[in-house]
Amino acid sequence: MADAAMTGHGRRVWFRQGTPLKIAVLAILIALIVLPLVRTVLFTLQPETIRAWSDVLTGRLSTNLFYKPLGNTLLIGAVVSTGCVLLGGFLAWLVVMTNVPFRRTIGVMATLPFMIPSFAAALAWGALFRNDRVGGQVGWLQGLGLDIPDWLAWGMVPTLIVLTLHYFSLAFTIIAAALATVNSDLVEAAQIAGAKGRRILMGIILPVTTPALVAAGSLCFAGAVSNFATPALLGLPVRMQTLSTRLFGMIEVGQVGRGYVIGILLVLISGAFLWAGNRIVSGRRSYTTITGKGGRAKRFDLRGARWPLFAVAMVVMLSSTVVPVIVLTASSLAPSSANLFSDWTLHYWIGQSDPSFAQGIPGIAYNEDIVRALTVTLGLGLAVAFTGMFVGLLASYTTARFREGWMSAAITQISFLPLLVPGIAFGAAYIAYLGAPIGPFPALYGTFALLVIAATAYLLPFSVQTGRAVIQQVGGELEESARITGAGFARRLAAITVPLAIRGLAAGGILIFVKIIRDLSLVVLLFTPTMPVLSVLAYRYASEGFGQFANAITVVILFLSIAATLIASRLQAKSQPWLQS
Amino acid sequence: MTALTATRFGAIGIVLSSAAMADGHVNEMSPDELLPLAQEEGTVTVYSFTSRIGRVETAFEEAYPGIDLQGFDISSTEQIARLRAEAQAGVTNADVIYISDTPVVLTELLETGIIAPYVPPRVADRVPEQYKDPLLAQRLSTKVLMYNEEANPDGAPVDSLWDLTREEWVGRVVMVDPLQRGDYLDLMTEIVLRSDEMAEAYEAEFGEAIDLDGAANAGEKFIIDLFANDVILVGSTDDVNVAVGAMGQDNPPVGFTSYSDRRDNEDEGWALQVANDVAPAPGIIFPAILALSAEPQNPAAARLVIDFLMGDETETGGPGLAPFYVAGDYVTRTDIPPHPDAVPLDDFTAWRIDPAETATIRAEIGDLILTLQ
Repeated sequence: MADAAMTGHGRRVWFRQGTPLKIAVLAILIALIVLPLVRTVLFTLQPETIRAWSDVLTGRLSTNLFYKPLGNTLLIGAVVSTGCVLLGGFLAWLVVMTNVPFRRTIGVMATLPFMIPSFAAALAWGALFRNDRVGGQVGWLQGLGLDIPDWLAWGMVPTLIVLTLHYFSLAFTIIAAALATVNSDLVEAAQIAGAKGRRILMGIILPVTTPALVAAGSLCFAGAVSNFATPALLGLPVRMQTLSTRLFGMIEVGQVGRGYVIGILLVLISGAFLWAGNRIVSGRRSYTTITGKGGRAKRFDLRGARWPLFAVAMVVMLSSTVVPVIVLTASSLAPSSANLFSDWTLHYWIGQSDPSFAQGIPGIAYNEDIVRALTVTLGLGLAVAFTGMFVGLLASYTTARFREGWMSAAITQISFLPLLVPGIAFGAAYIAYLGAPIGPFPALYGTFALLVIAATAYLLPFSVQTGRAVIQQVGGELEESARITGAGFARRLAAITVPLAIRGLAAGGILIFVKIIRDLSLVVLLFTPTMPVLSVLAYRYASEGFGQFANAITVVILFLSIAATLIASRLQAKSQPWLQS
Repeated sequence: MTALTATRFGAIGIVLSSAAMADGHVNEMSPDELLPLAQEEGTVTVYSFTSRIGRVETAFEEAYPGIDLQGFDISSTEQIARLRAEAQAGVTNADVIYISDTPVVLTELLETGIIAPYVPPRVADRVPEQYKDPLLAQRLSTKVLMYNEEANPDGAPVDSLWDLTREEWVGRVVMVDPLQRGDYLDLMTEIVLRSDEMAEAYEAEFGEAIDLDGAANAGEKFIIDLFANDVILVGSTDDVNVAVGAMGQDNPPVGFTSYSDRRDNEDEGWALQVANDVAPAPGIIFPAILALSAEPQNPAAARLVIDFLMGDETETGGPGLAPFYVAGDYVTRTDIPPHPDAVPLDDFTAWRIDPAETATIRAEIGDLILTLQ
């Protein structure tokens, strides 16, 4: 490469190929990701807030402020990640390795739950299982006359179930991709040697996919411990707090110092587990699963278990996708969630304000707040899709073309840092960061720009990854030859890389769009009444007892998410190799 | 460079316009004088601690066409956090602040210059001094013990707050989480401030002097016992209202909520009634404050909204006051007759809070409640 030739000339090291680009990208990433986190830590170290550390960690409040929520958080993380790996692994095995009927359908459906916002599932749970403990409307099952016990209606058990049904599809995607690469030679060799199915599973498939299992487990763990919506909707009514709900509560009542301290601790915990997972995987790098040759092995014949296992899979799929959608739709039409399927009215959708109905709140089509929130949300999704893919492409281009040097390593590391930061803690950090003027720059609190910047930073790991996949598809030699003929960086990007990668970029952009319009945890703290977004409005309606409006808004988000996801998956049909038979 | 000049001009412009406002005596203007200025502004943003702002919005826009009132229903606690964050960021989103939580409002919003007082000159002579200074109170609101009238036709099922710590009320007392709603923290604080009365009531109820058992005073002992009795904490007063008030319950809970929510009994199918006779008091009465943000973007419209919310010259205050002229809300204007269906203010036994006094120990009580959850 060109830069290798120049390394010898010490004087010109500074002008080595790509150095200015690297500096620019690094500066952007530091401004987007590192500074907010540093600023948050510094905030808690000021003389008037440093007491928050002892309040949270050692004072008489610490049990309720930190240790109990910590216990709940870790329990959620452990159970949900285990459940997700088991469930996701089971489904991945069915889809990739067996002859279960309707494999493709299962494969597509298993990726959907992750596209449904987790608060949608939590709301749906409430519409079904709510009992009369905290007043308000009871759910459908209670309405049918069943006596729903508190433990099933509220708190830990529903939180665990809802989160597992949400995150298992993440595990599925990772494990299925790994299983799809298991070399058939290994399996065939075992079959020839007379090994039975169980032996093959335990002796070959499981060990080979261990890195994927660990990765899936640690990602599900990090997701579950930082999830805000589900424990907030299902746990708070019975005073079950997790670190993320505590963080939210503290900031909402103005105890910002304590909130930030809890946020920092949450980042450390979630980061520690992801790091540990990474260590385990990278310590066992010796698994080469993709070799030059090797066809697909004969599928494992389930024989009589085909249909029963199919039924099990379908129960999981239906309860994690179809049921929530039906329940939410029905309960956005039913005045009483105790009678989900009767007295339907379109009031919550298109009704005009009527003082005797739902305290005069008009249907969502006529509700100024909601219409404005829809505009803001869509604008946010589009803006972040562009900025995210732009920064992601820039960062991945830089690291892909100029691999050497500590700066490239730093770019890679920093761009994945937000993965360790729960959305709600990231939101808190951004309030600390841009909530007050910095030098000549005005404060961005309550502005659209703040939402866009924070969301772009938050989704960088994702956009950089997408960008990298796209860049790698575009051969370096095309660019190289353009460079030889004298094309500048911008010209090369505009004339070669972008046009060739446009499909991948568009798909990546759409997925970013989906991720941000269904996100609650990042925006719940950045929300201001004058800059509303749909997910926060839904959350607020739900926590104020206007479930129907919350559910109607959620149905809108769901519709947008699923439509966009389907478009994206058409654009990048290749990304799910395990579906090709 | 040009950007800098522009900013400077902008700054000068702001200084000039507020000077012009001061010169124009905008604080002394009548609604008729405010109206053309307000219509020029065209819009006004209100942060309101009550959902009734929705009806105010409709009524205001009907009375003053051409001015778009944007009302946001935000709890007082959250309003304070948001207004502080906005002030720190140097942005002003709200023009009018309609809020309770007076103890915190005085120290955190008024003294810090985030909000400013305003008394519409039209009604100034008809509001008692105590409700004009330091901030204008539109009405008195309540957080009191309510019960289900349908299930208890002979009156309240309890005669003392201490009843709520008895076995039979385990898991059957409902209120909003005091850490989420300042009114409820004020209520808890008042109970501690009235520890002497609480101790007396304890003796009257149980026939023996109170054993504090490590608690600092009778008020804190009550709070500890109440939480030990599995008090149900919910997210909003409406949740309390439904839990306590819904018709057709065999054994409904009791709960602390707004007396005025009784107004919705008919529309919502509730049977809420106040337990005015419980010892030592059913709860608290506190002012609902109307104020301007320190530098409202729409200064004339903001003043017009406050004028509107204080009611017009008809007997019960017209459409601006209509959402608040209900049994259980006590309008501060002396010329508006008390609502016929409510316990008269003089017979109402709830404690009147002293915001300054409350502010002294409020944070401490908040921490106490945090340890109990």
